[in-house]
Amino acid sequence: MKADAELQLASAPTVALRKPGPIEDLIKFRQLILMLVVRELKVRYKRSVLGLLWTMLNPLLLMVVYTIVFTTIMPSGQHNFSVFLLSALLPWIFFSTALMQGLNSVLANQELIRKVRVPQAVFPLSVVGSNLVNFTLSLVPLVALMLGVGQPFSAALLFLPISVLLLTVFTSGITLLFATATVFFRDVKHLTEVLLQMLMYLSPVLYDVTQLGGKSSWWFNMFRDFLAVNPMTYLIPLVRDPVYYARFPSLLVVAVAAAWSIGALVVGFAVFVRLSPRHIHHL
Amino acid sequence: MRTGEIRIRDAGVSYRLYREKVTTLKEAVVNRFRHLRTSESFWALRHVTLTIAPGEAIALVGHNGSGKSTLLKTIAGVLTPSEGEVETLGRISPMIELGAGFDPELTGRDNVYLNGALLGFSRKQMEAKFDRIVAFSELGDFIDMPIKSYSSGMYARLGFALAQDVEPDILIIDEVLAVGDERFREKCRRRILDFRTAGVTFCYVSHSLESAAQLCPRAAVLHHGRVAFDGAVEDAWAAYREMERGPSPGPQIDLAP
Repeated sequence: MKADAELQLASAPTVALRKPGPIEDLIKFRQLILMLVVRELKVRYKRSVLGLLWTMLNPLLLMVVYTIVFTTIMPSGQHNFSVFLLSALLPWIFFSTALMQGLNSVLANQELIRKVRVPQAVFPLSVVGSNLVNFTLSLVPLVALMLGVGQPFSAALLFLPISVLLLTVFTSGITLLFATATVFFRDVKHLTEVLLQMLMYLSPVLYDVTQLGGKSSWWFNMFRDFLAVNPMTYLIPLVRDPVYYARFPSLLVVAVAAAWSIGALVVGFAVFVRLSPRHIHHL
Repeated sequence: MRTGEIRIRDAGVSYRLYREKVTTLKEAVVNRFRHLRTSESFWALRHVTLTIAPGEAIALVGHNGSGKSTLLKTIAGVLTPSEGEVETLGRISPMIELGAGFDPELTGRDNVYLNGALLGFSRKQMEAKFDRIVAFSELGDFIDMPIKSYSSGMYARLGFALAQDVEPDILIIDEVLAVGDERFREKCRRRILDFRTAGVTFCYVSHSLESAAQLCPRAAVLHHGRVAFDGAVEDAWAAYREMERGPSPGPQIDLAP
């Protein structure tokens, strides 16, 4: 064959006969996930004067609002309430925002999915990734606040990278699961919006499990039973314990949080990979 | 199986169709749940068997809705066949719709890298290609402008420039040669001929006998989702015309079990 030298295939094709597994596929496309994260951040803050600063300004302003509300309008007895609140609110915002944006991500990229063969998990995962960037950046004003109100810094803060990792693993799993469910039933999106609203009050964000006291009506017992299985009961202390209480989270908390996170990711990824070939018929 | 080979064995793709005709509230509520269970299926492609050897060029011909695009999407790996098997080996450059992955908010430059990643290339590999791609697209300084400010011709030019530089083993072209002006079209045609001489497997969808005969010695005629003819391109057109003369039965819908 009189092949043009310039046209000779640069990389000799050494493709394995076996089809790549879903995890290999994701590893091959890891750069795509990174680029999608960058794209999301670029597009989100495009043409805004402050750009990425908004990720830090946002929790800062939120903090001001909550501090005013809980010091003057309805004072709370909690010492340094703003740190107490923010140390739980920031991880919660990370989880809930990633989930709400991520469950829509397969639908949002349907034009692409119809035309290019790509492991679809990259879309929900990149949404989690861009929210992870936001979450990490929002820890900067939290540190500023801690300095401002004289909150003690302890060695327990060194645990935070593990906390962030577990939160990210958990959020990824749940987001994958809900993203595939949304393709088949659009109702999931609206339902999740309401459920998240409820879950926030049923999770130790505005309060702490230890503050619940000993009321014993039947519905309060039910609430306490729910708290015992609610993954947020274990995931939120991962951040709040080091930041507010200046202590390492207990072994029980870490173990249950890790079990929830790994379980969520395994189930979420397996279900997503199993169902994603059928997505295209439902887009 | 060799690199650049395409093997299709008794492949079929069925789409589910939902009828949405609601007259009463009761029906609306009942239908909500009924459509979860029963639906009608439509076979866009059925019992298709084709083997395309590495370096071979085949034109796919057929009326609108004959299943050409479905077949191409199955080869490209976008669609998974509902039955049968489709196997390919090697990198596929799907020029099914140029610039499919472009984000209008991003610049041409960012889109080149994003699209490269979609095709499985690393940033480094794309950096090596970048200047060539920009030169081919003839976009010049526009490469750093958001894509939404491009004309449709510029958009398609960047799309083709990208698709032609991904070192494919299999090239899938769905009537994209109608992009840009006469001169750019000629440039694209020459580039495709280069690929042919380099031994790239080539699947081409066209409605024009002239361009199909120029590029492909072999042709398959699709008729209502089945391969009705497979052979020399000259004979294919006679077979195609013959078939189109007959009465059109319309798409076949059978109730799913």
